Amino acid sequence: MVEIKNLTKYYGSHPAVQDISFTVGDHEVLGFLGPNGAGKSTTMNMITGCLPSTSGTVLVDGYDIAKDPMEVKRRIGYLPELPPVYVDMRVRQYLEFAAGLKGVKRADRKKQVENAMERLKITDVQNRIIGHLSKGYRQRVGFAQALLGSPKFLILDEPTVGLDPKQVMEVRNLIKDLAKDHTIIFSTHILAEVSAVCERVVIINKGQIRAVDTIENLEKSVAADPAIRMKIEGDIAKITNLIRETEGVKEVREVEYISAGVNEYTVVMEDETVRKKLMAKLIAEDCMVVEVNPVRVNLEEIFVKLTAAPRAQSRAELLEELGKELEEQHAAETGQNPYDDTDAGSEDAADSNDEEVTD
Amino acid sequence: MFALYKKEVQSYFCSPFAYVISALFLLVFSLSFISGISNMDNNVFKFSFSDVFYNNFFYFIFMIPLLTMRTFAEERKSHTETLWLSAPITITKVVLAKYFAVVTVFACMMLLSLAFPLVVFIKGSVVGAGLFCGYTGFLLWGMVCIAVGVMISALTDSPILAAVFGEAAMILLIFLDNFTSSDFIQSIPFLAKIFNWFSTEARFVGFSQGLFSLSDLFFFLSISAVIVIWTIIIIEKRRQSRA
Repeated sequence: MVEIKNLTKYYGSHPAVQDISFTVGDHEVLGFLGPNGAGKSTTMNMITGCLPSTSGTVLVDGYDIAKDPMEVKRRIGYLPELPPVYVDMRVRQYLEFAAGLKGVKRADRKKQVENAMERLKITDVQNRIIGHLSKGYRQRVGFAQALLGSPKFLILDEPTVGLDPKQVMEVRNLIKDLAKDHTIIFSTHILAEVSAVCERVVIINKGQIRAVDTIENLEKSVAADPAIRMKIEGDIAKITNLIRETEGVKEVREVEYISAGVNEYTVVMEDETVRKKLMAKLIAEDCMVVEVNPVRVNLEEIFVKLTAAPRAQSRAELLEELGKELEEQHAAETGQNPYDDTDAGSEDAADSNDEEVTD
Repeated sequence: MFALYKKEVQSYFCSPFAYVISALFLLVFSLSFISGISNMDNNVFKFSFSDVFYNNFFYFIFMIPLLTMRTFAEERKSHTETLWLSAPITITKVVLAKYFAVVTVFACMMLLSLAFPLVVFIKGSVVGAGLFCGYTGFLLWGMVCIAVGVMISALTDSPILAAVFGEAAMILLIFLDNFTSSDFIQSIPFLAKIFNWFSTEARFVGFSQGLFSLSDLFFFLSISAVIVIWTIIIIEKRRQSRA
């Protein structure tokens, strides 16, 4: 079990991760989800002991990473964002070295290395120099390295980045397969991956946790009024009015151009029964309905909703932020006129700039 | 720790690196050897191998930053340090493994140069004790320089910069000895004492003359140890602020 309690990391005065807490049970696959720069890698580095935390604790099987780093590291296999491979070594040589580094007994090394190579399907490149391999293969060599020493926990930082679609599928299947006897935490910013592999997700943004829940629960939590997308042929104004006038329709959210004369309307309704009325009315008015699709709340929307929501702030913090914004705005405005108080040479430059603008 | 040591030594010998630097080392050594022989005093026919080291200090220590520049800078540049940061191995062991790997390569280079005394031994006679002292002294000196080089490599991301700053540090080490013997420093007994204490060349002279003193041995070993410990602290410190 991995327990993370109030984990915080500051780079100087900049908070990268703030007060993160969650638990990962045994044999669980946990997705760690967030936009770029959300603090995913920082958190993973802290869990694996590569980076000390500013405050908070990480307990792996009851061992504290700050007090018993060796015990923790023995239990963890880590694949960082950039696979830590030595480009001048051969695949097999590298894996044997990594096994030695992880304290795998000499007698077990060969077996473990071969096992890892087989799982990642890199046995056929075992004698090639890593620097000559493609990105996908390097990623797999890095992954194989994480499996050495039979760690109970696998921490994978964006394991599918830079792989082609077929390899992505393979890695996903591998993660599913590994989940049988490992506990896996893996980070990603690709949502499809999370729904394909994970049971539970942690959504993180700007260093703070937005949600820790199963995907199902998350979908329920954001469920809103039912909506449908309809592709209809005909005049926009007329159709929009028709839809709006229908009893039970809340709003026509957006109208998107599809092809000449055909537009897609997103309609939000009070309940599902409105759909029938709407269809009947449209057909009665002789409008060609080309296609109807229900709008499902998907992970993307949950993600956008959760990562876009402003975080709970105190009044003082809000004021401070506002002050900063104003300052930035001011700086940007003054930055736009850099020629105001300079010599003749740059005035010329400014003149020519103006000309360009007027042209 | 042994796995890392082995990998480091391999990385030198599985690339042209160790061979090219050894060749350069032997080139300087052989040229110096030839000039030593051709300038030999016709009456005594004596020649000192330690002089070869002593006279070419400047060239020899220039090669050390080339050996050490990659140790940590390259790891940081290619993001491979996460491998040993996340492995159950302490930073102390990592630094020691890397340090002794370079020392091993350096010792191999010196071993190759033993070919020259061997030739002399076949054609004439060699004073074994003097030769031993000369080699020991140079190895100890090299160990100090390697410690400095490794430390500088731990400070930067770029192997080239590590080499340049390493060379600068080596030059400083040499000029420290020149300063020590300057009239200005010698006129202030307090400074002279400190400078004398840190002057490595003076201690090497003892070795090169066949004087094996425990205090000198201790000096070189302790200076190396201090710098290696410093390196460990630097790496730990940089780990704290790693982005």
